[in-house]
Amino acid sequence: MRGAAGLTAAGFLACGLVLMSSAAVAQTPLPGPAPEELRNIQRHGPWSQPVPRDPSNRVSGNAEAIALGRALFFDPRLSPSADLSCATCHLPERALTDGRDRARGGGAAKPRLDRNTPGLWNVGHGRWFGWDGGSDSLWSFALRPILHPDEMGASAAHVARLLRGDANLACRYANAFGRAVPPEAAAESALVDAAKALAAYLETLVSGASAFDELREALARGDATAAARYPDDARRGLALFAGKGQCSICHFGPNFSNGEFHNIGMPHMVEPGRVDPGRHGGIRRVRADKYNLLGAFSDDATRASGSRTLHLAQNHGNYGQFKVPSLRNVELTAPYMHDGRLATLREVVRHYSELNVDRLHQDGEALLKPLRLSDAESEDLVAFLRTLTSRSFPDLNPAPGPCERRGA
Amino acid sequence: MRAWLFAGTLLAAAAGHAADPLPIFDAHLHYSHDAWEMVPPKDVIALLRKGGIRRALVSSSSDDGTQMLYAEAPELIIPELRPYRSRGEIGTWFKDPTVITHLEERLKRYKYVGIGEFHLYGDSADLPVPRRMVELAREYKLFLHAHSDADAIERLFRQDPGARILWAHSGFEQPAKVREMLRKHAKLYADLAYRSEHGSGGKVDAEWRAAFMEFPERFLVGTDTFAPERWHYVVEHADWSRQWLQDLPPAVAEKIAYKNGESLFGNTVKR
Ligand code: HEC
Ligand code: HEC
Ligand SMILES: [Zn+2]
Repeated sequence: MRGAAGLTAAGFLACGLVLMSSAAVAQTPLPGPAPEELRNIQRHGPWSQPVPRDPSNRVSGNAEAIALGRALFFDPRLSPSADLSCATCHLPERALTDGRDRARGGGAAKPRLDRNTPGLWNVGHGRWFGWDGGSDSLWSFALRPILHPDEMGASAAHVARLLRGDANLACRYANAFGRAVPPEAAAESALVDAAKALAAYLETLVSGASAFDELREALARGDATAAARYPDDARRGLALFAGKGQCSICHFGPNFSNGEFHNIGMPHMVEPGRVDPGRHGGIRRVRADKYNLLGAFSDDATRASGSRTLHLAQNHGNYGQFKVPSLRNVELTAPYMHDGRLATLREVVRHYSELNVDRLHQDGEALLKPLRLSDAESEDLVAFLRTLTSRSFPDLNPAPGPCERRGA
Repeated sequence: MRAWLFAGTLLAAAAGHAADPLPIFDAHLHYSHDAWEMVPPKDVIALLRKGGIRRALVSSSSDDGTQMLYAEAPELIIPELRPYRSRGEIGTWFKDPTVITHLEERLKRYKYVGIGEFHLYGDSADLPVPRRMVELAREYKLFLHAHSDADAIERLFRQDPGARILWAHSGFEQPAKVREMLRKHAKLYADLAYRSEHGSGGKVDAEWRAAFMEFPERFLVGTDTFAPERWHYVVEHADWSRQWLQDLPPAVAEKIAYKNGESLFGNTVKR
């Protein structure tokens, strides 16, 4: 807790006064953020934060595993037809998404998949993975595209063969896991290890600070000059986001997600006659997943990391709920929502502004009310969302040095 | 009407052997305008049949949705009249006098077993529009299907002590409160729609069990299709209901599953 630690209640209030007086000077009077809103703002940091080590993944944080994961992420040979790598859908130049509404799969058919490809920056800060949270760890999620017949359609044997047959991958594997790639008979453990290496790599994908983070730090320091650099429209948008919009209740904390699942009234029919059940299906999936945190493949001997999975309870409200996505870098990851049905941030804001309450259960999402924003307010909210774009991103694929086999 | 009821009974009796899944009376369904294209009437009926739904209590905004389903499968659909004509009236209808004209016109034209499901809380229940609605229910001998807090339920009974009320979602109250209300009002019935905690994981919670055992004749199950996609949840919801009902004595389970619905509503639509 860097910035926030030294902050006192009086400090917040002082910041509030600074903001209000600077607002009074400006042409367009800004609503002075209430102390509560200022507290909300502070809750969205500090940033950036490293991803904590994953106790269920014994190579989490391991440099050799990260190098292996990086190599695999960009390697189309992971798919048997060699046409699809992770980076085919999670494109580096598109903030690790693909710009499509719904993803296209692999093989000859290239089927249209059911869901939108999310960006992967800061993905390690999540606790459930997939729009339905059908996986409870990053590594168990990574198995999904590898094995899914509509995506890479690989098998454990295929992945083990790839690791064994490529000197560089085999060397990284041996360094990371302290053993040679297991033989054919133990291919499944090689597959899971590959997924754990991919996860170790994904955990390093943390983006840098944004204009919003600079404002937040400035407010925390009581530095009015620095705070004044933040654009006025975005500041009004921020007041909406943390205030009457109540956005920050779900898009909570440093990564702008409470990590949970909600129904914001988005349609979830995949095609006539077929519905995406969202979290309802995700709970079933994660419970049934032999690679979940309660299963034999977790490296957390205490199984403590699986307690959330153990205590999952399914309810009718889960049907049609989707994961609250992080909003960091959201400007770069259009189109939006679990099926990419909204093309622009303006459309997203319109959704919240004109919300169809008949699609929400009265006692389910009491939080959500149509905001009925003016055009100017909508623009402000979009301007705020654009200030969540990181100013810097670490190099995704630095040229790796040659792998040198370490002594066993 | 009588003819098909009779035929229905025969069919059910003929089909009724042990291996059949427990029939379900789904007491909480809506077929509102946004669903008509996404899930056409034929698909709705097919889903209900697939789920082993014996009868379905349907109310819609607008009521045309209910009428479409009724026309498609009169033996399956039991119509209720919603005081909402279109989207967005959930929070305003009780202050809108044109709702009364709407109710009066529909009641003259079509047959219903109840008025509802409507959303009504606290002292709003005593406003002129809900008062007139209660009078209409009395006049036409209809149930009220109220998505309400306990306070509004009390007020509705004060207006008409002879009213029969189906308490939607049992007011999202704790089982102790639901029991207290059921004890107090002999003509109050409790629907369990959109609630999960009484039967989570296929096991009946102890407090709820006590409520079901004390009032086996007063509970009903329902899916609540408040969004079109949820029609595709009806089948799964019926299976989920069968699961927790299995944890009750069979006679009680049958009542909650369908017999209560049948005896309360099954014979009431006559035309
Ligand atoms: C065919 C396109 C495609 C490929 C190839 C692909 N992904 Fe994805 N990725 C998606 C889609 C679509 C989703 C959303 C899936 C869902 O919610 O069910 C997703 C989601 C994810 C998530 C979850 C993100 C979150 O916020 O919950 C992770 C992690 C991920 N992918 C990693 C990978 C890795 C690692 C690979 C390579 C092994 C990979 N993906 C290959 C399309 C793809
Ligand atoms: C009740 C919780 C909740 C609230 C409140 C909420 N959101 Fe969301 N938000 C979600 C969920 C859940 C999704 C994903 C829904 C889906 O995919 O169907 C989402 C999606 C989004 C997206 C799309 C992100 C992406 O990558 O696709 C944006 C942008 C967004 N919300 C902004 C906002 C703003 C602005 C507000 C306030 C006006 C707000 N949200 C309020 C839960 C919430
Ligand atoms: Zn209701």
